[in-house]
Amino acid sequence: MKSEWTAAKGFVVAGLIALLSGALFGVIGSWQHVIPGVVDAIPFVKSRPLHVSLVIAWIFLTAVGGVYHYLPKIVGAPLHSTRLAWLHLAIFIGTGIAVVVSYFMGRFGGREYWEFPPVLGIPIVASWLLLIYNFFRTANKHKGPWPAYLWMWGTGIVFFLITYTEANLYLFPHFTGNMVRELTVQWKAYGALTGSWNLLVYGTAMVVMERSTGNTAIARSKTAFLLFGLGFTNLLFGWAHHIYPVPSALWIRVLAYGVSMTEWIILARMIRQWRGTLEEGKRGQGSMTGRFLFASEAWVFINLGLALLISIPAINLFTHGTHITVAHAMGSTIGINTTILFASVFFISSAPITKNLRVGFWLFNGSLLVFWLCLVGAGMVKGYYTVLSDLPFQSIMLRARPFIVGFAVSGVGLFIGLWMLTWAGVRTLLRTPGDPAELDIHSAFLVEGPGSPAPENGHAVRQGSTTTLQP
Amino acid sequence: MALRDEVQVGSKDPSGFGVHRKRFVYFALIGLFVVQSGLTYTTSTEVPDSAATLSEQARHGEALYREFNCTACHQFYGLGGYMGPDLTNVISAEGKGPAYAKVFILYGTGRMPAMGVSEEQADALVAFLGAVSATGTYPVRNMDLTVWGTYREMHTDEK
Repeated sequence: MKSEWTAAKGFVVAGLIALLSGALFGVIGSWQHVIPGVVDAIPFVKSRPLHVSLVIAWIFLTAVGGVYHYLPKIVGAPLHSTRLAWLHLAIFIGTGIAVVVSYFMGRFGGREYWEFPPVLGIPIVASWLLLIYNFFRTANKHKGPWPAYLWMWGTGIVFFLITYTEANLYLFPHFTGNMVRELTVQWKAYGALTGSWNLLVYGTAMVVMERSTGNTAIARSKTAFLLFGLGFTNLLFGWAHHIYPVPSALWIRVLAYGVSMTEWIILARMIRQWRGTLEEGKRGQGSMTGRFLFASEAWVFINLGLALLISIPAINLFTHGTHITVAHAMGSTIGINTTILFASVFFISSAPITKNLRVGFWLFNGSLLVFWLCLVGAGMVKGYYTVLSDLPFQSIMLRARPFIVGFAVSGVGLFIGLWMLTWAGVRTLLRTPGDPAELDIHSAFLVEGPGSPAPENGHAVRQGSTTTLQP
Repeated sequence: MALRDEVQVGSKDPSGFGVHRKRFVYFALIGLFVVQSGLTYTTSTEVPDSAATLSEQARHGEALYREFNCTACHQFYGLGGYMGPDLTNVISAEGKGPAYAKVFILYGTGRMPAMGVSEEQADALVAFLGAVSATGTYPVRNMDLTVWGTYREMHTDEK
């Protein structure tokens, strides 16, 4: 058990280091928008891919670390092979270092978000095959029907491999030869790829919620499977809102528009149950895990609202290619994914609430809100003048400058907040030997005591029996 | 920490939907995904092949576009980084064109660093930009909106 935990801990610690490094390059990149030429040693052409790749690495490393950590406890049997988990970590870190070095040396060759030389994709795929093998060999030991999070993880893991491979189809002449086809396939793959890691992260949220409340009915309810089904359908078919203005076939756009609109069901459900969510949020104030899970609910609401609006073609006409798209990306990766992953990190690390963590939490969320609003503001200015005026690019950006400055300043606040949280996470993880008794420190989450059913809301549905997790 | 800390739910599915039905829906969705992928790979574009297919030089330019990581700052059809302008129609736009683009590529500007591009590479990049320009227009300014929230004839805009 100890080595399993240690491999999982290795993933999470590596993830936290990637997050902080990625955030630092993000700060540099944002200030390069305000003061051209600042930090000349790392020009924007390098700072942007460093930022993006490291932050994506944070999501994968921490989500996968969570899978390795929670899976044996869920299944009731040890991981099929701890050696393979270690090998996976070693390949991941080795490849990550190679990617960073290639960026610093100015060696690119890939496409947006995966700008490293495509040959580095080979070890990524190899390490992922190890995860697939290890996951299914372990998960198949689960007795009884799988809870929703096992479906989410299994689907997310397999579809990442499929869509990552699809994202590299541009290496074949059939795709590169036709510019429109290439763009369409690229964004088909990217849309589904993002959906794949979202499934990994949302599955983690469900596990953390189950383990912190003791309510095992959450992930077995009809609602949990309905939400999984909607998410999966959107992963498969709802990607084309990224490319409405690309002259792709009409059926692609119409299908994506229709599928994207099914997410109104999720938004409507969140509005209907907002009172329960607030009550649950109050209950969760006793632990960092509860606070982050509540924050993730708020960010899901904000970001889903924005995503639905920009999926309407007539609105997308103005928002596409503007900072509103960045706001959506930041809201998803930082607001939703990062808050859920922090909930998992603090659950695994058993970090108690301290003054620093409280300050870090509010600085992170407050700065992110300002950051997000500034991006939306800059996007509105850019969208309006791009579509309705003949102003050149630089003149439009000059009009958006106050928002860009606000974005860069709040980015510094966000970085400091992340620093405080990451530092606490790494410190407690390194200090905690072996497998922490996770329930002990989460008693604060359970005001009514373990075994009490969690309130009915986006995560928790009162249904069936509950159980107490035994340390 | 005990390993077995789950409720034994047995074979009955507490979601009430049934394992077999879940599997059926799941694999039906995957089947549709396979069909949709095939259709996307073969019929994904409204632009005729004659306009969208890249010449040998344009393909070389496309590879260079990736090697110099131009997408960090620039976009096609609004997709890419936002430090610099969208390049979809830089070759066909009034007051711009191949010579204009080539100067920027070779020497940079106040904001854009000179990337160390050779004359031959600049020609390939310009050929690639020309090929992209031939595929359509961006931004779309034709706002013939419908009640469904869509707009018509998006690439007929002559701007």
